[in-house]
Amino acid sequence: MTAPLDVSGTELEAAPEAVLEGSRAKAIQGRSLGQIAWMRLKRDKVALTGAGIVIFLILVAAFAPLIVGWLGHPPTDFNQDLISSETMAPKDGTAISWEHPFGVEPVNGRDIFSRIIYGARISLLIAFLATLLSVVLGTTLGIMAGYFGGWVDSVISKTMDVFLAFPLLVFAIALAGIVPDSAFGLSGDALRVSLLVFIIGFFNWPYIGRIMRGQTLSLREREFVDAARSLGARGPYIIFREMLPNLVAPILVYATLLIPTNIVFEAALSFLGVGVRPPTPTWGGMLSDAVRFYTIPHFMFFPGMAIFITVLAFNLLGDGLRDALDPRAR
Amino acid sequence: MMRKTTLGVTAMGAVLALALAACGGGPTATPSQSGAAPAGGGAKAAFNAALTQVYNPSDKKGGIMKFANAGDWDSLDPADTYYGYSWNFIRLYGRALVMFKPAPGKESSELVPDLAETLGVPSDDAKTWTYKLRAGVKFEDGTPITSKDVKYGVMRSFDKEVFPDGYTYFNDTLDWPKDYKGPYKSKGVNVDSAISTPDDQTIVFHLKQPYSGFDYFAQLPATIPVPEAKDTGAKYREHVISSGPYKFDKNDIGKGFNLVRNDQWDPATDPNRKALPDGYDVRTNVNADDIDNRVLSGDLHVDIAGTGAQPATLGRVLTDPNLKANTDNPTITRLWYTSINGNVKPLDNLDCRKAVEYAADKVAYQTAYGGEFSGGQIATSLLPPGIPGHADINPYPSGPDNHGDVTKAKEHLTACGQPNGFETNISYRAERPKEKATAEALQQSLAKVGIKLTLKPFPQADYFALYAGKPGYAKDNKLGLAINGWGADWPDGYGFLQQIVDSRVIRETGGSSNISVRDPEVDKLLDQASLETDTAKREPIWAQIDQKVMDNAFILPGLWAKSLLLRGKGVTNVFVSDATGMYDYLNMGLE
Amino acid sequence: MATYIIRRLIWGVFMLAIVSVITFAIFFLVPRLAGATSESLATRYVGRTASAEQVKVAAEKLGFNDPLVVQYGRFAKGLVAGAEYDYGPGVEHCPAPCFGYSFLTRLPVWPDLLNRLPVTISLSLGAAVIWLIGGVATGVISALRRGSFFDRAAMTIALGGVSLPIFFTGIVSLVVFSYGRPFALAAPGGSFTPFFDNPVMWAYNLTLPWITLAFLYAAGYARLTRSGMLETMNEDYIRTARAKGLAERTVVFKHGLRGALTPILTIFGLDLGLLMGGAVLTESTFSLPGIGKYAIDAITNQDLPKVMGVTLVAAFFVVLANLVVDLLYAVVDPRVRLT
Repeated sequence: MTAPLDVSGTELEAAPEAVLEGSRAKAIQGRSLGQIAWMRLKRDKVALTGAGIVIFLILVAAFAPLIVGWLGHPPTDFNQDLISSETMAPKDGTAISWEHPFGVEPVNGRDIFSRIIYGARISLLIAFLATLLSVVLGTTLGIMAGYFGGWVDSVISKTMDVFLAFPLLVFAIALAGIVPDSAFGLSGDALRVSLLVFIIGFFNWPYIGRIMRGQTLSLREREFVDAARSLGARGPYIIFREMLPNLVAPILVYATLLIPTNIVFEAALSFLGVGVRPPTPTWGGMLSDAVRFYTIPHFMFFPGMAIFITVLAFNLLGDGLRDALDPRAR
Repeated sequence: MMRKTTLGVTAMGAVLALALAACGGGPTATPSQSGAAPAGGGAKAAFNAALTQVYNPSDKKGGIMKFANAGDWDSLDPADTYYGYSWNFIRLYGRALVMFKPAPGKESSELVPDLAETLGVPSDDAKTWTYKLRAGVKFEDGTPITSKDVKYGVMRSFDKEVFPDGYTYFNDTLDWPKDYKGPYKSKGVNVDSAISTPDDQTIVFHLKQPYSGFDYFAQLPATIPVPEAKDTGAKYREHVISSGPYKFDKNDIGKGFNLVRNDQWDPATDPNRKALPDGYDVRTNVNADDIDNRVLSGDLHVDIAGTGAQPATLGRVLTDPNLKANTDNPTITRLWYTSINGNVKPLDNLDCRKAVEYAADKVAYQTAYGGEFSGGQIATSLLPPGIPGHADINPYPSGPDNHGDVTKAKEHLTACGQPNGFETNISYRAERPKEKATAEALQQSLAKVGIKLTLKPFPQADYFALYAGKPGYAKDNKLGLAINGWGADWPDGYGFLQQIVDSRVIRETGGSSNISVRDPEVDKLLDQASLETDTAKREPIWAQIDQKVMDNAFILPGLWAKSLLLRGKGVTNVFVSDATGMYDYLNMGLE
Repeated sequence: MATYIIRRLIWGVFMLAIVSVITFAIFFLVPRLAGATSESLATRYVGRTASAEQVKVAAEKLGFNDPLVVQYGRFAKGLVAGAEYDYGPGVEHCPAPCFGYSFLTRLPVWPDLLNRLPVTISLSLGAAVIWLIGGVATGVISALRRGSFFDRAAMTIALGGVSLPIFFTGIVSLVVFSYGRPFALAAPGGSFTPFFDNPVMWAYNLTLPWITLAFLYAAGYARLTRSGMLETMNEDYIRTARAKGLAERTVVFKHGLRGALTPILTIFGLDLGLLMGGAVLTESTFSLPGIGKYAIDAITNQDLPKVMGVTLVAAFFVVLANLVVDLLYAVVDPRVRLT
């Protein structure tokens, strides 16, 4: 029931209850869930700010080559003329200028701004794909467990228990560490990204799975499901046409809240040196380089803030979504 | 709690002293500092003050010296340990037959007898070496040390399954019985053909072939005596029986250990050791930046690894004259280089290898390793300047400002039939950020002539055994370039060159440091040198080998390493030993 | 109750067994899938200069040639019944639970783990006390003064807190509060002092990691407590309690907090269990020689016996925490029946 890292994982716990209440509210008011949620979300300035930042970040990641091309400093290019050969620090301390808005890295003088921009790609790509994997696995298995009950439920539930007992971070590091540089027909960044997506996504599904199982269990007993069943609807129809639409809201909320966890997870793995390989820039990797140069504060400031702002934006948006779908939270 | 208070007071005192010095202004600051040193103190606090002379000499006894190590100790067992800092430190609790003279500068490369009365006496054309032990030397439990204990120490070091970390000089050169597996597996086997002990004070080594430099072997920690009755094999490292001035008190592997005085050590038998402090407190696995800061603040005396200040500390120390005055910047007998693997196409072509030599940006190489102070001096060939026989050559000048010579590189690419460049891989040890930075730097500079490199990090533990050092793997996976580094086991041409240029050390099973040099002529020169007993004739051969390897462009020399060492506060008898390239730990004391 | 506990214990042991099988299988299979042979695996443990012959002997000795099942069986047998170990001059018995001997250092894994446990426990427990008190208090005050300046400030900081990764806050706090400047307060970094050696130094050395780690969790707990309190204070039984004329203080602390704290207790138990099994990031950021740092070192060296040991110890704490939480739940919440 707890998040993977020694980062607080309490977000996900907060609320199977609350979302359940959300879907109940729909029954009372008789308006479309989407309409209600949108109305509430529109009033929530904080959540909208989060959403704005998220969209901005996605655009930045998508158009990274354009932005960087316009600035003219590819993320792996060296600018050693800006580096002191004695201390390896940028000559004037940071080298922050119009040329290099975030300054340059010590030792090789790479442009921090473009590395942050490219880092967003890796970070968001892995976080999104891993979340998708968890959601697909978690929803499928959670609904199966909740809907079929019996031995199916106990096998899936016990499996989730075992997964949750794994020391996830240790395991992820170990796995990411022993896979060699080319394997399974892939190599380079493609391999590392797929590997990280797999590790992060595969070990996180039980969190979603448990919530989905609980939701399905309660939906199964509801009148409209009974009605469909009495009209002769079969399992697949009930699952896809009656239940899934009612699960979209909680899936959306938990997916949004899982993304920041996954961003931190990816950053942690890169920080520990088992993420995407250099010279491909990652925020976690930049932070771990920066630790050795802690006397050059701008080097750790920018990747640290990039992680912070991104995670914060997703948390704001996720909180807002949850509130919007849950009338009693405010 | 008491200890903490004392520390606080000391630190305060230091701050006060600094403040006073600052108030005094430039010219008066120096006398006030030297005034703080004990009477007779020679050196003043100045950059490189401990490089060629003893800084802050003193015979004052007492105090506990505090050392810290950022990593784990490879092993405290004399049969197993293979780190320079450990060989430096081990002399506090173990006495080998011979040692490097604990003196600053050039003198530190001289060998002097330690447990033995004199240096080795060769006979039979240097095939047999005899040592006589000093009388009256005892183990920490009071048992007298005999030549059998020395013999046993060397014998047990034979078993590389129990002691995988160590060197194999004795295994390879002594005339062991056939199929000998060490004293654990070949119990009771007579090894007199390799080592004999005619009496309790005499030990004789029998070599397969004459070797003129056997005294260098005799200074290896494996000749430290080990009492057979107390030997616990792999577990001996938990409590090594001391033959030196200090013995183990508490040993918590992975965290640290304490040494206290060994009351069985008799200074009369030991002209080399001063044994000033009352004990040593050594912590391992300490955060490296924390070590630097604590050395600067006076909370720690020595960063034992001796590899120099961390990058973050450099910026702080080099920009502050007061801090810089308490540092030393020795050049070490270590070469940071990149192997160019002739087994990987198109690097099988000499011109393609030469293109790499010319295109490499040497300044970027230097910066990647930490700049001119903590990285090193740009190397133009293999042999570091500190090794006798070094000759200044520069077969591939890297352009006027050492940023690489694009024109020359392109010429050779054309000659090699790859005018637009080619693609290959470069491997490095994943745990080493400096190697990563170097790989990235080479990627950048070679790209300028169209040579496209892909970075391949591998785990340090398996780098030589399974990846870069395994010929089959390197060839199949096109590891054309491999970041590498080599430090001499002792400052001598053989010790430096043999392991990295002798093609016969390359084995299909992997594990050798020589990744790329395969040249029968080089092998021949090496044989010629090791048979040559005349030093004056031997030393020019090292330069010849150096030239030969460079001509064939199997190695891209990067840097002759330097390190910026932080001098601990209140430490006496500080000096850099040329043999290790770090402070000599043997005779340090506290004010 | 007794049968329930026994059943849970059996399930816990079973779960540990599954975790061990999966861990073993992955570490056995993945390197082989990537092309490693038993010889190439053994090369690492015989030194760089070993001959092909020596490597072969070592592979045999370490049992790398046996099939997966046999190797796992040997490991499991060591855990349950102990094992024999050849350390050079003789053979030694390694009593159960024998996690085997490190391939690299040839030292038994179990005493090493025990040796490191106090560090991780000190770190987690100390931080837990701080975050539990700090987080819950902040949450309660925020809930009671909803909309106040305190509430807004606290919740803003809390939201920031849950969004900051420990390896960032950790480094920043090291740079700011340690490393000699600008505010040298604490002495972090591998300088762990056992509690029984010197309690003052123990606390002094751990202050910075405690606060950094606690901040992260406190933020989450404050948010949870606040929303839990708000929800509980709307419940019918609270209204009843107020209607009965109970003092507001009694209503808040005796009824409200109790209802809000129950779910927090669950999470607290699980968070703590997970941390006890190795606060990997915190320990590696602050260089604390605990279980988490041990895990990283073991993985870096690909020392399978160590990895197995550390994974199982970590899983043990998670399973234990689950059990304790379930039992506590029954005590706190009378609606839960143990059957």
